[in-house]
Amino acid sequence: MVADESQTAVPSIDTRRLVDRPLVLCYYFAALAYLVISMLGGILMALQLVRWNVLEGIEWLSPGRWRMVHTNAVAYGFLANAFLGTLHWAIPRLSLRPVLSRSLSWFIFWAWQFIVVATAAGLVLGPSLQAEPWVVKLASRWHIPLSVGAQALEWGETPFWIDPLALLGLALVAVNFMAPIVRTPGPMYVSLWYFMAAFVWTFLTYAMGNFLPEYVVPGTSAGAIAGLFIHDLVGLFVTPLGWGLMYYFVPIMLKKPIWSHGLSLVGFWGLAFFYPLQGIHHFLYTPIPMFLQYGAVISTIAVELVVTTVIINFAGTLWGRGRDFWDNLPIRWFYTGMVFYFLTCLQCALQVTLTFQKLIHFSDWVVGHAHLVMFGVFSMWLFGVMTYLFPRLLDRQWASRALCEWHYWLSAGGILVMSSDLILAGIFQGYWWAALLPWDVSVMGSRPFWIIRLVAGLCMAAGVVCFLINIAWTARAGSRAADR
Amino acid sequence: MGGQICTSRLTHWVTAVLAVAILVPSMVGFANKFLEFAVLVQQDNAGAFAIAPVLNYLLASAGFLLLLGWATRNGMFRDVEQPKWKMLEQERLLDSQQSAAGWSVDAKQTSRTERVE
Amino acid sequence: MFESKGGVLLIGGLGFFLLAFLANGVVPILLYRHIPEKTAEEVVNRRILYQFEELSRRYPESFEAAFGEVSVQTCAEALRLGRQVYISEGCWHCHSQYVRPVSNESRRWGDVSRSEEYQNELQRPVLFGTRRVGPDLSREGSRHSNDWHAVHFFQPTLVSPDSPMPRYQWLFDGSPDRPNRRGLALITYIQWLGSWLDSYPYYEDLQELEQEDF
Repeated sequence: MVADESQTAVPSIDTRRLVDRPLVLCYYFAALAYLVISMLGGILMALQLVRWNVLEGIEWLSPGRWRMVHTNAVAYGFLANAFLGTLHWAIPRLSLRPVLSRSLSWFIFWAWQFIVVATAAGLVLGPSLQAEPWVVKLASRWHIPLSVGAQALEWGETPFWIDPLALLGLALVAVNFMAPIVRTPGPMYVSLWYFMAAFVWTFLTYAMGNFLPEYVVPGTSAGAIAGLFIHDLVGLFVTPLGWGLMYYFVPIMLKKPIWSHGLSLVGFWGLAFFYPLQGIHHFLYTPIPMFLQYGAVISTIAVELVVTTVIINFAGTLWGRGRDFWDNLPIRWFYTGMVFYFLTCLQCALQVTLTFQKLIHFSDWVVGHAHLVMFGVFSMWLFGVMTYLFPRLLDRQWASRALCEWHYWLSAGGILVMSSDLILAGIFQGYWWAALLPWDVSVMGSRPFWIIRLVAGLCMAAGVVCFLINIAWTARAGSRAADR
Repeated sequence: MGGQICTSRLTHWVTAVLAVAILVPSMVGFANKFLEFAVLVQQDNAGAFAIAPVLNYLLASAGFLLLLGWATRNGMFRDVEQPKWKMLEQERLLDSQQSAAGWSVDAKQTSRTERVE
Repeated sequence: MFESKGGVLLIGGLGFFLLAFLANGVVPILLYRHIPEKTAEEVVNRRILYQFEELSRRYPESFEAAFGEVSVQTCAEALRLGRQVYISEGCWHCHSQYVRPVSNESRRWGDVSRSEEYQNELQRPVLFGTRRVGPDLSREGSRHSNDWHAVHFFQPTLVSPDSPMPRYQWLFDGSPDRPNRRGLALITYIQWLGSWLDSYPYYEDLQELEQEDF
């Protein structure tokens, strides 16, 4: 069954050199730092909605600005850093070759931190400089957008002057990781297809979304492109990296191969074909031509069938090893994320229909959906990967199994409550609006939901605090734990 | 094996249930959308515009299917399952080399978070 | 092809991405290319100039310091800045700017949105928005007076007791009757929204009084 040794044995690898462990650690620490910042921003916004925000009226703590920090810190601070760190572990081990250059890797690390910090600074401090005469003068002289704060693109609020730098960073990331992949002989493992495609897609998506609506086309056409950008950012940056990592980590943890490599081929090509075609479904009932909206709806429903094949593949891999779901913590994180993924996609197939859109568009339903995807799926997977890798990076066992459990249950419970609460709130809001009740009815009626959301969010944050404490204990425990 | 018959029956049932659960809603949805589409096309001049994206999808999918057929004929799927075995074997090798190099956690492979005895 | 690096990169990575971009991006661009894009100066109309002048009379000192005098140029400048404030303070994450043809929206907000409305400099990038914590603003112009907006931005609960909207006191020099440059610009921008429509200002369920009632 096992492929013959001549193909697999690569005797002359220096395993110490293969993976740059301090780099992976640095990426993880950066990711967790931004996660904490993002969660603080989320809590601030949640407090504002229920009007318990005691910090109101302080310019640099404005919930409107921190709402953008919240989403950007998750996408570019937490997810991107955690993915890059994990890729520095997974790609060299899958291809048995180190990345292109170690110093380039470290350069990318620091450049990316600069980009994220500059984005946050721009979002928080930029608006205060908006009316300064020198900003106005610069803007009119160079015909640049006047904005030193956010750019009006959801998930791409990064101030306009950072965009080219970020794009350069993404190109370097692609080159650095592509080098070992292209040198791998023979048919590639499914994870590597996902990674390769993701590097190209992320670069193209970022360029398309950040430049075209700002500099090339206005109005409704720009809306169509912005929809495509939001969509591709999740579908062509986060999703392929996430699934690629699952295809790698699940088999090596279970010590059995993926159920069907052939089926994963279907999943990959189905995603590649159908996913990008759906951008416009984010703006249904806008002035974007109706026939394009129908097209986006149809391909969205088609991609749900593709998702089903991927889910079946992973269910088939776990089949007969159900105990591992309870005993093996990373596996539990992974499969919980997959359950949430399936739920999200099911929800997506429903909410994308025009019938549902009438009711739930603009409501908290959408917010619930976004949290379910970003936290319930991808953050859960990355927490699982971190739970697996931190002992290997620090070369010692977790200091506390109990804290690991707390992290899991607080996160899983928190996101379940938060998303179902917000989805339910969205249905109520939709009916209140359609019934032409006074606007305040929908605001006051949402209050109980928003309070529950705040509590759920605090639980998720508490889970992360448990994780951080555990990491600190583990790091300080010395080699004592490892000897046991 | 004694369990063979039992397993195959189970597999049949799972397949049947899945098929019903997936196919029926999707076919109802598809039929519904198709009817909507038919009505739309007949409605007015602009309705005919709706054919454009559908044609796009059909053409692109047809091209994709042809490519698939061509790849199959050229034997690209003869050993499609091989990389998954190779990957596991590599990982085993890397871990054993690392344990030789003295990385204790890699060597044990089962930290407390991963398995409870 | 399907497992090879070239196939993944060229067909999956580039080909399908471009196909989607053609279908989702280029088609709408082609459809709307005949509608000219207006500049901020071109979208200044009599109605917004009236509101702009009203601002200059109500807050003469602040207005003088911020924009000097009332003209199409200064008004366009205020609209540009106001839009940037609207973006960078995150207004567009809680207020949408499009009216859908469903869910009784045209009764609550006014005319359903059309593509022509978005074909101007102030909708680049477009501000459709994704969430309505607060009301849609695309037909907000003149529904409230300038001083209502000033008080509302200073402390929303003063005029709208149940509002969860945060205070924006940094758009003022200490009190609601002294809006600064950014504050005046934001008010101008909000008053401009919908000013190009026949139904301006739009009031929900407005009953015209019969002549003899006067």
